[in-house]
Amino acid sequence: MHEIHTLDLKEFLTKAISNVFNMMLSMEAEFIDAGFQAPAGNSRIVGTVSFAGNVMGNINIQVNDAFARIMTAAILEMELDEIEGEEEIYDVIGEVCNMIGGDLKSRLCDAGYLCELSIPSITSGDNYKIESKNWMRHESLDFRCRPHTGRVDVYIKPSS
Amino acid sequence: MTLKILTVDDSKTIRMIVKKAFKPYDCDLFEGENGVEGLAIANREKPDLIVLDITMPVMNGKEMLEKLKGEPGLKDIPVIMLTAESGKDNVTEIVKLGVKDYMVKPFKGEQLIERVTHLVKLKPKKADEPGKSEKDKPKRFFKIEDDIQCLVLPAALSKEIIAEVTDHLKTDMVKAADAGKKKLIFDLLKLPEINISIIKLIIMVFEKCLETQTRLRIIGNSKLSNELKEFQETAELPVYLTVEEAKASF
Repeated sequence: MHEIHTLDLKEFLTKAISNVFNMMLSMEAEFIDAGFQAPAGNSRIVGTVSFAGNVMGNINIQVNDAFARIMTAAILEMELDEIEGEEEIYDVIGEVCNMIGGDLKSRLCDAGYLCELSIPSITSGDNYKIESKNWMRHESLDFRCRPHTGRVDVYIKPSS
Repeated sequence: MTLKILTVDDSKTIRMIVKKAFKPYDCDLFEGENGVEGLAIANREKPDLIVLDITMPVMNGKEMLEKLKGEPGLKDIPVIMLTAESGKDNVTEIVKLGVKDYMVKPFKGEQLIERVTHLVKLKPKKADEPGKSEKDKPKRFFKIEDDIQCLVLPAALSKEIIAEVTDHLKTDMVKAADAGKKKLIFDLLKLPEINISIIKLIIMVFEKCLETQTRLRIIGNSKLSNELKEFQETAELPVYLTVEEAKASF
């Protein structure tokens, strides 16, 4: 079993995000330093999955509303004005988060950290901050699918 | 014979992707949101193939699969498992469950179809037979009773159905109104919930009725009545609870 602090979480996330965006959305994700902006008043959506077992943690994916709509249209192969409502968008973000989380979970399990994934949850709105504390490790990865940006955070610690 | 495909996944996104993948083929698609729904549909429809997600609320894919294997009429239905997890242990566990194949998310629809072709014979959807045109398609949701046009929306409202209704409003409804049938009953009782597409459709029907001077009566429940009050165009529209009440009001 690898030590948690030696796990290359950034590499895990990079591969997972690239795979999901390429395969399901036909989008190329470019990884950038500190590119994601979440200014007050700008509505955004956060998809979250948790995992628990030998390790515990959370994975969040944050995108702004406009990007979430584009992602929904891309994954469902429809025009933007064909999107029926927020539920479709929430479902897409939840599923994207589920797939990224599933990929990460697989790599953790292969590294000896058996765990199970939760069902995704969604938070949306504007003017809020996401903070998650007391973890052993936190990795944050900003990415861009021009012209939009997003952020994926993973928080992890051993169970005992 | 038309194949029956059952897709069971709590994600509507995945169900839509699966549906789109099978669209070019002669298939009837059924959907379940969890293992309990999936089992009920499998018992009722006896599908030729099941595409089954693992992680679902209420009853997960593994539990549903165990129950399928315990039913004589269902145990031989081929199952393709969907999973977001590609780890060794997960794959080994899936194989032990006795599924025919599995797919790791993310996947493209073509990849799913490629796997499916190893299990069932997919036939392309037939093109329209010669001589049969769009206008000959049976009007599933419309009828005329005496001098009243009746439009009854089904429980599941797909984009195709909305397009069919929209087309009817532009053509046959105008003809019926010109022929003196200037009463319309719009029955929404079967709809389990209201969404923006339905509201748009109601407003479209209302505007068409105004245009053709057709008297409109809507049948629905109290929730619909409250929703319609939110819109200027439909705030004054009464909603009747039964067809009889609506007819009597004419």
